[in-house]
Amino acid sequence: MKHDRSDVFSGALPDAPLAMPKQVLERRRSSLLLTLRAAFAAALPRF
Amino acid sequence: MARAHVTRTLALGAAALLSLAGGWLYMRFIGNDGTSLLDVLRTALFTLVGFWLVWGGVAGVLGILAPPRRVQRRPGRPHGMTAILMPVYNEDAAASFSRVAAMNRSIVALGLADRFHFAILSDTNSAEVAADEIVWFEQLLAEPLAEGRLFYRRRERNIGKKAGNIEDFISRSGGAYDYALILDADSLMDGATIAAMAARMDDDPRLGLLQTVPEVIHAHSLFGRVMQFSAAYLSPYFARGTALMQGEEGPYWGHNAIVRVPAFAASCGLPVLSGKPPAGGHILSHDYVEAALLSRANWKVEVDPYLGGSYEEGPENLIEYAKRDRRWCQGNLQHRRVLGAPGLKVWSRFTFVQGIMAYAASPLWLALLAASILAAALPSKYWWRDNETGIWVLAVAVAIALLLPKFLILVRSALGGRNRGFGGTIRATLSVVAEIVISTLLAPIMLCFQSKAVVEILLGLDGGWPATNRDEGRVTLSTAFAASWWVTVAGASVLAISTAFASDLVPWLLPVALPAIGAPLLIAATSRGISSGRKPLLFTTTSETAPAPIIVEQQRIFLSWTQQGPAPADAALAGAATVHA
Repeated sequence: MKHDRSDVFSGALPDAPLAMPKQVLERRRSSLLLTLRAAFAAALPRF
Repeated sequence: MARAHVTRTLALGAAALLSLAGGWLYMRFIGNDGTSLLDVLRTALFTLVGFWLVWGGVAGVLGILAPPRRVQRRPGRPHGMTAILMPVYNEDAAASFSRVAAMNRSIVALGLADRFHFAILSDTNSAEVAADEIVWFEQLLAEPLAEGRLFYRRRERNIGKKAGNIEDFISRSGGAYDYALILDADSLMDGATIAAMAARMDDDPRLGLLQTVPEVIHAHSLFGRVMQFSAAYLSPYFARGTALMQGEEGPYWGHNAIVRVPAFAASCGLPVLSGKPPAGGHILSHDYVEAALLSRANWKVEVDPYLGGSYEEGPENLIEYAKRDRRWCQGNLQHRRVLGAPGLKVWSRFTFVQGIMAYAASPLWLALLAASILAAALPSKYWWRDNETGIWVLAVAVAIALLLPKFLILVRSALGGRNRGFGGTIRATLSVVAEIVISTLLAPIMLCFQSKAVVEILLGLDGGWPATNRDEGRVTLSTAFAASWWVTVAGASVLAISTAFASDLVPWLLPVALPAIGAPLLIAATSRGISSGRKPLLFTTTSETAPAPIIVEQQRIFLSWTQQGPAPADAALAGAATVHA
């Protein structure tokens, strides 16, 4: 076990990070307008 | 799992058939002088709200028919390491921390101290309460084997509320633990129950979450004791019925449950929903969503209604109940945003709909009431005069749907000797009847509060995150009036309008209108406590007649702590407490 009395973090919460990736809950809405806007945004130079 | 599919199909079929039959009956008597568009609307509303009414009853009946408790072997020593998490938010620190002390003593007594750590995860933003927490945590550190096992940390920014609090712990320390037992600030669990849950997680590597059915304890007011009795006497049967239908796609109620940390971390990172609260933002009722996400990742989510030794406290008056309900309502209505989330199990989506309808049904009942008054007020639309038998049949059918499960539970408890823990069969019978009377009187007031909550949320008003005032008991008449004067006005208006335009309806509306008119009186009266030293006649529960050792121990610790005051601060122990942003 990572956590025992000899652990350097035994005085405070153990430093044992665990990734908690964000889940996808909302469906992305796509439309012709959004696709065109994204295409133009990608194609046109930014000023 | 096949049994759960069959059970839920049969239950859904039964609820649908019964509500359709009720709708047909309703249509027959309201449409006896010809069917109008209003009649069709009323029938549709009646059938829809009737379905959810019957659905609750079906769960109760299933629970009564459920097979007896499985004989479980005594759990061995758990192998996995469990973090017992108690998130707190501006709570009474002495009360919450004394529960941790009692649970710790229970675990130490079992010789399992090396398998269980405790972490108090504070989101408190009141400086005064935060200072109290430090003081009482130092007291807690004087408990047996506390060093290196009992932790406290406070977030200065409570991002994501309770779900964010747990997520913060897992992100920083989750790798050190196999399981996390998640509590509320008012949770209390017996060490043997905690150990049995960890052992179940060891034994079944597919089990992602195991939920207990907590029993409400320590209620003092009439309102609180009715809720406590209902939770102890009736709820276990409803929970058993629900568990039969849910199978491996069970519920998570946010506390008194154990999760497998790697599964939870991989599956339950909650995104912030697009848009502003109340529809968008952080997910409020995170527990339902987390259960659905675990199921989506093919982890088993189970509820075990037979696991005892799990307790919580409840609101002591209707105003505190309505405050909590407002928060839950906002959380449940927010679930409409995740109904279409990719990959969810059908049952998880149904659970979201069920949660939404638990609140949406209230304004639908009011709409049915309004449509009935309108229909009766229209010329030549006497809604029941020519068919008195019909209305009585319907009234009896609705009463059966509401009351039958409760009386069946009473009969089964009498036959099985369970009533002994509730003061004997006579007192249990009187308590069930009184529970029905009081809940019937309070139902119209709750209906109004829930309808107001739904309307506010649909109008985009965010209820925020009010702290739960668990000790707030007695409500004065003026406070009750300030909170519910509009319910009185609504009840009086309904009665006045129906007297003027639909006098035939008045006798049928009185059971709804009169409690609404008397809302302040009822709220104040039900918040009164029983006299100290007097043994209450009604609503006795096993937690009072034969309190579990953990309940007695926690009360003893709390009393000794609060009578003596906290121990002086020990700087050497301060390392166990951390504060971070």
